[in-house]
Amino acid sequence: MVIVLVLQILFVTLLSCLVGLFLIGLSRKMTARIHWRYGPPLSQPFIDIVKWFSQTAVSHGKLFDAGMIFSLTGSVVVVLFLPFGGICPLRGSGGLLVILYLMLIAPLGIALSAGEAANPYASIGVSRKLQLAFGYELSLLMILLSLMTYYRTVSIVDIVEAQIQSGWSLVQLPLVVSGLAYLLIMPAIMGIRPFEMIQAPQEISSGPMAEYGGKFLAFATLQHALNIYIGLSLFVNLFLGGGSNAGYFLIKLLLAFMVFQVIHAVWPRFRIEQAVRCLWRWPALLAFIGLIIVWVTTS
Amino acid sequence: MVNPVLFIVVPLGLAFAIPLLKYISKKIIRFVPALAFLFNLIFALRLIPVVMDHQVHVQIGGFIPPLGINLVAGPVGMLFVVLIALVGFLVSIYAFHPIKEKDEDRYHILYMLQLTGATGVVLTGDIFNLFVFFEILCLASYSLVAYLGNRAGIESAVKYLIQGSLGSGLILIGIGLLYGQFGTLNMADIAGRIHSVQSISVYVPLVLFITGFGVEAALFPLNAWLPDAHSSAPSTISAVLSGIAIEVGLYAVLRVVFTLFGITHMMGLFLLLGVLTLLIGELCAFSQDNIKRMLAFSSIGQIGLLVFAFSLASTLGIAGGFFQLISHTLGKALLFLAAGYMIAHTGSMEIASFQGMGKRMPFTSLAFTIGAFSMVGLPPFMGFPGKFMILKAALHDGQMLTLILLVFILIATVIEGAYFFRVVQVLYFAGEDLPDRERAPVAFSRFVPMFLFTGLIIVLGIYPSLITDLLDASALELLDRPDFIKSIIP
Amino acid sequence: MKLEILLAVVFGGSLLTYLLGKISKRARDILAILVLLAATAGIASLYGRSSTAILCTGFLDFPLVLRIHPFAWIFALTIAVVGLCAVIFSWHYIRKKGRTDFFYFMMLLVISSMIGIVLSGDFLSFYIFWEIMSWSTFLLISYNREEAIAAGMKYIVMSVAGSLVMLVGMISLYTQTGTLVFEGITRNLNSASSGYLQFILILFFVAFGIKNAIWPLHVWLPPAHSEAPSPFSSVLSGILIKIGTFGFILLIYGIVQVQVFVNLGHALFNVRNLLLLLGAVTILLPTFIALLQDDAKRLLAWSTVAQAGYMILGIAYGTSESLSGGTLHFFNHALFKSLLFMVVGAVEFRTNGVRDLNSLGGLIKKMPVTFAAGLIGVCGLIGVPLTNGFVSKWLIYHTLIVNHSPFLAFVALLGTWGTILYSYKLIHHIFLGQLPRKYEQLNAAPVSMKVPMIFLSLAVVVFGVLPGLPLHVINLSEIGFGMEPLAINMWGVVTGSGTIQMLNIATALTLGGIVLWLFFRMGRKNTRADQLDNYAAGAPVPADRYQYSVKFYDPLTSMIAPYLKDTADNFYSALARGIRNVGNGIRRIYTGDVGNYVMYIILFLAILIFIQLYWKVW
Repeated sequence: MVIVLVLQILFVTLLSCLVGLFLIGLSRKMTARIHWRYGPPLSQPFIDIVKWFSQTAVSHGKLFDAGMIFSLTGSVVVVLFLPFGGICPLRGSGGLLVILYLMLIAPLGIALSAGEAANPYASIGVSRKLQLAFGYELSLLMILLSLMTYYRTVSIVDIVEAQIQSGWSLVQLPLVVSGLAYLLIMPAIMGIRPFEMIQAPQEISSGPMAEYGGKFLAFATLQHALNIYIGLSLFVNLFLGGGSNAGYFLIKLLLAFMVFQVIHAVWPRFRIEQAVRCLWRWPALLAFIGLIIVWVTTS
Repeated sequence: MVNPVLFIVVPLGLAFAIPLLKYISKKIIRFVPALAFLFNLIFALRLIPVVMDHQVHVQIGGFIPPLGINLVAGPVGMLFVVLIALVGFLVSIYAFHPIKEKDEDRYHILYMLQLTGATGVVLTGDIFNLFVFFEILCLASYSLVAYLGNRAGIESAVKYLIQGSLGSGLILIGIGLLYGQFGTLNMADIAGRIHSVQSISVYVPLVLFITGFGVEAALFPLNAWLPDAHSSAPSTISAVLSGIAIEVGLYAVLRVVFTLFGITHMMGLFLLLGVLTLLIGELCAFSQDNIKRMLAFSSIGQIGLLVFAFSLASTLGIAGGFFQLISHTLGKALLFLAAGYMIAHTGSMEIASFQGMGKRMPFTSLAFTIGAFSMVGLPPFMGFPGKFMILKAALHDGQMLTLILLVFILIATVIEGAYFFRVVQVLYFAGEDLPDRERAPVAFSRFVPMFLFTGLIIVLGIYPSLITDLLDASALELLDRPDFIKSIIP
Repeated sequence: MKLEILLAVVFGGSLLTYLLGKISKRARDILAILVLLAATAGIASLYGRSSTAILCTGFLDFPLVLRIHPFAWIFALTIAVVGLCAVIFSWHYIRKKGRTDFFYFMMLLVISSMIGIVLSGDFLSFYIFWEIMSWSTFLLISYNREEAIAAGMKYIVMSVAGSLVMLVGMISLYTQTGTLVFEGITRNLNSASSGYLQFILILFFVAFGIKNAIWPLHVWLPPAHSEAPSPFSSVLSGILIKIGTFGFILLIYGIVQVQVFVNLGHALFNVRNLLLLLGAVTILLPTFIALLQDDAKRLLAWSTVAQAGYMILGIAYGTSESLSGGTLHFFNHALFKSLLFMVVGAVEFRTNGVRDLNSLGGLIKKMPVTFAAGLIGVCGLIGVPLTNGFVSKWLIYHTLIVNHSPFLAFVALLGTWGTILYSYKLIHHIFLGQLPRKYEQLNAAPVSMKVPMIFLSLAVVVFGVLPGLPLHVINLSEIGFGMEPLAINMWGVVTGSGTIQMLNIATALTLGGIVLWLFFRMGRKNTRADQLDNYAAGAPVPADRYQYSVKFYDPLTSMIAPYLKDTADNFYSALARGIRNVGNGIRRIYTGDVGNYVMYIILFLAILIFIQLYWKVW
């Protein structure tokens, strides 16, 4: 029993890291092709990680190190709470609310680490990240609440199982508006264009990453990879019915990613206030309407 | 058992002995008032268990009522006698240290006359006698307000005199009208027959009495003399005026309304009047910068509250009213003494000039603070049981009018809290922090009265049951009119 | 320990502390700590006990009763512990200031009266202790002079208004039920009409709401918390305002009974919905206002208002899970908010009174322990898993979601996300970023400050991992209220629709952290760089103020700021001005012309006679 659990944990963690890194590579390739360039090979992120690990890095203090580890830990643990096909190692520990909270740890760790760096670019990046998060959480919270209200549970596994029985949430009538709202905020959750102002390399020197080099950069990239995976996985599990097995789940994940990648490749970047305004207008309105619809139809 | 006459005779006699004693020693006269009121206090306290059992009557010259002049020492009367003696005793300690270099003897004589008058008012059973004692009280008050001899004092004394005399005139007319109808001056006798006449000729004396005594009791709008007189009198006299004089005025109104006329159906009007007085007093005090005027307006407000409580005309209400009356007397006397001592130090009555007093005069500031907290009705001080009892009575009454007025009482209390707390803050927290060295020693004669008042406020705040029996008996005396009449005129 | 003796110890101890201070300052500090230690031990020894004791048989013919039961126990213990921590914290903090005897006296008096409140078994003793608490708090808030005076004034005026309303409510209960003892009232209240119950509830809501600072009765709190001396801010924020929470629970669950409360009045317009609505507004508005603050203590103060909203939601919702959540949140908030005020206080102490976030920075290098405490406190405030705030918030969200109140749940969740923003701002501006030159010689916080901070930080983590400990006591009190207790174990809660299991989360996070740390160690060793050795896009790094902190969340804050006027505060200020103006107007009645005065007397007489002529009152 314990061995199965440990194996599940290892499997899910490693696979999600691999998927995340692969998606980063794919993203660069796709963007390049849309931009009429050749682009780096798909294995480039893996090569980078190994390379950075062997480089000497500059550290600014204990919290600089600890924050980074803390952040990656947070992401890894979130992954364990998300169903991966039929596998969910920590299913009985609090469900969606816990996931929501655990998703805080990763940005918080980065924010602390970047804060210790004493570089204003990093602080600006963190500030933007938090504002952006506040922007999309408004909608995300309402969307998640409509799901939880509709399915009368806070457990993500239960939601996936309910979808396997009665079809995707995205096509359930009361939830369709919420689903649309979720589609709109997905780029912001994943931190891709047009919501890429957190990093904005040309403008604020990659923001929180400004002081990272060597293994810090490797950790940050891994964390980013997991972040992409988490964002997509949450969407797939909540609205696209999850997956009865790992393969089916990964295909859904990949398709969803490619849709958003197209947007990423062709859109310019918002300024932060444009982003927050944008997020607080249409997605929030849709999410609110969605919540009302769910509330009325279920009561 | 001591004869109640002595409560009047002893201070009166000693007062007139002062000019003689002056020739023996100039210093000795300072202690005469204290002696007199200590005597009153001790023996009045010993008399209280007796009057709780039955009323004590004294016929002056042996004539049986309704013919002669009689004294009635019931619970209400003795309550007031003790209160007057207590305040008189403590405040006279404060005057061991002369208020003014010159005319010390006059101060002491007038002071004793004032309080003797007050004692007479509450003990007498005869309406004309009441008037006479009342006049003694008032005349002494007028002169004492002017005692400092400055312009403000004399001006306000004259204003006080004019209004007070008008009031006295009205009372006298009222007495005349009553005498014309009933041919007697004995209160119990009149009271027994008052309902035999159902006409305006009874109503007119009533309103004359209310207006006349109301001037001294500081009912709105008859109280215009009060802020001026309180603020320009010496602080000891302000303490007595605020703690005793207006309460005695209120006593007279109560006697007239409850005992003499036995009114039960005009109480709504008095409730309204009380709340109006309360609100106006507190509102005026709220925007005052002069400490003594602020305290004076606060007294008006408190009188309003008392009127409200008494007008509930229930045992609860009247007992609560008496409790609040005692609490106000002790608290306000303490506040005036403390404020006066601080004024003597700073030379200014502006509240803002009291900055840093918490360091310079720690004890006085503490006394003032406790007095202020008690006024606002915070436990464990004496104001709390008082407010509690009044609110209880009002809610027990449960009429719509009472409940509506209750809202205004609450608002007024909040306002009262605001201005008292403001002063407390100035005492302790305003301005720069002073070094500990600047402490002024507190004189013994100042310390003792303030300490005792403070102690009483705390003790009675924690053990209100010490006096509640007396208060209930007093309430019963006012409400159980037939019994009162029967006990005097069998 | 007997309840009377306990109260005698704390009240007597306060006075004794004051007197001892006249002889020796050190002895006074030690005595203060000893008194509270004794109180803590005494309360702890009463665990699980339910008993009553008569304090005094006749105060105005009412008996004063004390009682202990699990619900009072958890409040009393929290009060004693947080009070103890604050008093230890004061050791160094207060030494520089004047009137230290007074400070200790009032501090202990506030704590004693709070213990008195939670142990009282009837409304009269409740009220007496309540008022003692009010005025001693007032004196302590004003202690810092200058700005603090206005803050103290605001507090006491609102407090007096609240307690008068409570007095009316309580006497009205007396006239209805003939007793002031809680059990008696509960027994006799069955016959009361629904309208009367709602009236009573609203009266008490005003009183408790002012102390608990729910919107729109909160206006006293931000200035009071920020201007009070920091150890007292901890007490104020950690426990004092929770006395209002205590009152709410006592009233709704102990006296009116929750079944009655939930079904009271109209289906939509009833007191429960009113309270829930106010709770929601209290979460939302103050959270956003806290975002705009640049003063560390004021930020925390607004945060306290917002957190109180969670407790109100939990309490007013009326399920046993929501009550557990509300009560647990009280307990947790007491720990982490007093911790945070101590952190800010320690910084304020070392920097000689700097509370302005924009002029601090980089203090992590100088005050690492304080930083760690601050970080843990902030995590608790946000509710990061493994800190205590997480469980209590989870319970509240969960009950709101499964009982079909998604909008309330949304407000609660959104409030948490706002909390993240201002919490990070607090930590970042004080401890992270560049260390200004003037603070290069700064010392770490003294031991007397570190000890309570470390203790409270540990408590935040321990109760975050083992929520079963406080939940067990809360379950006992729910049984006392006649409710179904929550299914709990040491690590979490099991409900039909979702469970929370801290064991898994804790293990996953710790193991994950260790594995990743080992992995991190495997990489090349890194070198340390100074804060001036930073990337600055090719330009040299300017020393001292190479920091991004002013208007940290600017586009966001300037977007929301216009909607965040503190209308309630403006309203009360206008009211106070209005009363002053009315007072000034009425003073004109007393013209100073004696002719007018005589006219008043005659007029009064005339009116009285007129009344008789017209209405025939005699």
